[in-house]
Amino acid sequence: MLNALATGFSRDAVEALSRQKGEPEWMLQKRLQAWELYESLPAPLGRRGDLGTLRTLANFKFQQLNPYVPADPNTLPSALEASLETSVVDERSGLIVQYNSTVVHTDLAEELKQQGVILTDLDSAIREYPEMVQKHFMTNCIPADTSKYTALHAAFWSGGFFLYIPKGVEIEAPLLAKVFVDTANAATFSHSLIIAEAQSSTRFVEEYTSDVAGDVPALLSDVVEVIAGNEARIEFSNLQDLGQNVYHITNKNAVYDKDASVTFVVADLGSKVLVSTIGAGLQGNGSAGELVGVFFADHDQRFALNTLSDHIGLSTNAETLVKGVLTEQSRVEFDGMIRIRPKAQQTGSFLSAHGLLLSKQARGEFIPGLEIAANEVSASHGATSGQIDEEQLFYLMVRGIAKPEAERIIVQGFFEPVLQRIPLENMRTRLRRGIIRRMSGDYETEADTWVDAQERWEIEGVDEGAIHLDNKPVDEEIQLTEY
Amino acid sequence: MGSELIIKNLHANIEGKPILRGVNLEVKQGEVHALMGPNGSGKSTLANVVMGNPKYEVTDGEIWFKGENILEYSPDRRARMRLFLAFQYPMSIPGVSVANFLRRSLEAVREGNKSLDEGENPTGQMTKRKSVPPGEFRKLLQEKMRLLKVDNSFINRSINDGFSGGEKKRAEILQMALLEPEIALMDETDSGLDIDALKIVSESINALRGPNLGILLITHYQRMLNYIQPDVVHVMWNGRIIRSGGKELALELEDKGYEWLKVNDEENEVAANA
Repeated sequence: MLNALATGFSRDAVEALSRQKGEPEWMLQKRLQAWELYESLPAPLGRRGDLGTLRTLANFKFQQLNPYVPADPNTLPSALEASLETSVVDERSGLIVQYNSTVVHTDLAEELKQQGVILTDLDSAIREYPEMVQKHFMTNCIPADTSKYTALHAAFWSGGFFLYIPKGVEIEAPLLAKVFVDTANAATFSHSLIIAEAQSSTRFVEEYTSDVAGDVPALLSDVVEVIAGNEARIEFSNLQDLGQNVYHITNKNAVYDKDASVTFVVADLGSKVLVSTIGAGLQGNGSAGELVGVFFADHDQRFALNTLSDHIGLSTNAETLVKGVLTEQSRVEFDGMIRIRPKAQQTGSFLSAHGLLLSKQARGEFIPGLEIAANEVSASHGATSGQIDEEQLFYLMVRGIAKPEAERIIVQGFFEPVLQRIPLENMRTRLRRGIIRRMSGDYETEADTWVDAQERWEIEGVDEGAIHLDNKPVDEEIQLTEY
Repeated sequence: MGSELIIKNLHANIEGKPILRGVNLEVKQGEVHALMGPNGSGKSTLANVVMGNPKYEVTDGEIWFKGENILEYSPDRRARMRLFLAFQYPMSIPGVSVANFLRRSLEAVREGNKSLDEGENPTGQMTKRKSVPPGEFRKLLQEKMRLLKVDNSFINRSINDGFSGGEKKRAEILQMALLEPEIALMDETDSGLDIDALKIVSESINALRGPNLGILLITHYQRMLNYIQPDVVHVMWNGRIIRSGGKELALELEDKGYEWLKVNDEENEVAANA
């Protein structure tokens, strides 16, 4: 096991980390360059008059953190084991787990190994597949100089996941990547580098949880780079349920070759301060990007969510759909941009983001942006935030439903169209329950009743043709559906 | 003894502006009352105030239902006492299917008249699962849908979302059929319907008519009353009921308009002030 570093970020710490890991010279140089960038770049502060999330992050005392906290793969905490058992992925093709700064477990279906699929930690990838890593690691998809925080990430990354899918290989059951942190006053870096060759496909699910005791801050800095080859299809789902003492900075981006498609599904439930930037670099002609985002913010959580659909190639498509609820004193800023470059003719781009405010203290700011430099495009955007419609509430109450449940029903209805877009069924269920549970506080049983009812209808398939209007006897069917 | 809705000297404001200015009205289970009057006379306000819409402020008067003054009751509690409102403009609630909503609503209404005051379980003791098992619910829904000739695709859609005007009104009546109220307020159920839809909706209401259901049918046209014969007709004007009579009153109104009553009302007011 490697040793922890002293507290604080510095050039010496960069060198010490790289030397400990026994990295090749190019990676050390990359780290050192990134460190110089970090020192020279100003922290982004946002706009005048915004809700101040970026300023809050800029004021965070990064130097109180330990930049590297390795873990012992042989002694995993029970909280980590437990969270693996309750993962939204039950049937999977592979699993990779990062505990604090160390990847502690990797497995991959034998069949996939034989087809040439590689799933490993990033340290091993540097040793075994240096060309691929050197070509793609924070170069083109998310360059180290994207921001002060990506520069810090490039200088101090540790752990990390590497996935390579050869041409034409289709991975059906999802791969699960788990990040778990439990050390206070520590910075953890997680990185996913996914290289999908032509005509390959995969579903990659990443779950972030934490168990950091007390009010002491911790940081999780995360970068996800997806390189999608010709006609590759990638579905990347991220369930972020960190504790509300964790600062979380995440940058996710995909670069697209011809006719590639990448879907990001991102659910943000946890963290104290979250600054999230998700992009789609639609370079390849005919490529398609999709982003489905769900969030729930309460207490004094602060989220800054940024999305970019960057249309570069011919006839590309993008769709961004974000919905979330804000309660108590939470603040959420959403900034969504559609950029259509001069050569990106025949572009279709759609963006919609909505925040539902459940308390008078919560504040939401939802801003869509559009930059169009081509003329043959179809683009639309809409972003709003507002409170529960009193007339909707009255309508449900007039049907006998008490106010707290009526509110939950409206919130669930608000989320449902986005939840329907989440391909992973367990994740849908988890979010439905999680959202309702967080709304209902102590009354969990009752909350479940409504959610279960919704699910039961789905499971029972009442939907199509279960109710006949002709005179056929239906008693038989009714008996079957009792439970 | 049947249930009874008794409204006494009811005054209500919206945003400080008086709308109801002393309404007196009694509707018994089994009776059909028509409440007519021009736009702005306070008919819809009356329906909303009886159900407890927080938009309106009651400044004076009482509302009694089944021997209880329900003025301080929340809208859901009034509904659980089996008071019903068919909305003039039913709200659409995207993402919530009619089937799920109706089942929860039925479960709630069957819970009955329970207070949800502070300190008690604010969720209204609805912790019991399966209080209306899906089988039973489905059977009941089927029965009502057959009765009202409602298409079964209805129930899988989101509540009123993308429904046409006629569909929304029919969905309201389906809810009414399912929840079996003792007194139903039907707010302009005929508005926005073409003649065919009006016929279907009226037939549905007639099908539900019976000794267990009292109806207050709010309309400003006489045409619906061609299909639904009221026992009593009331005319509302300027926040008060100024005339009550038999069904012939509706015909007289159609003939003469509201103006002749208005003249009478003004004379009354002058006389009262004198």
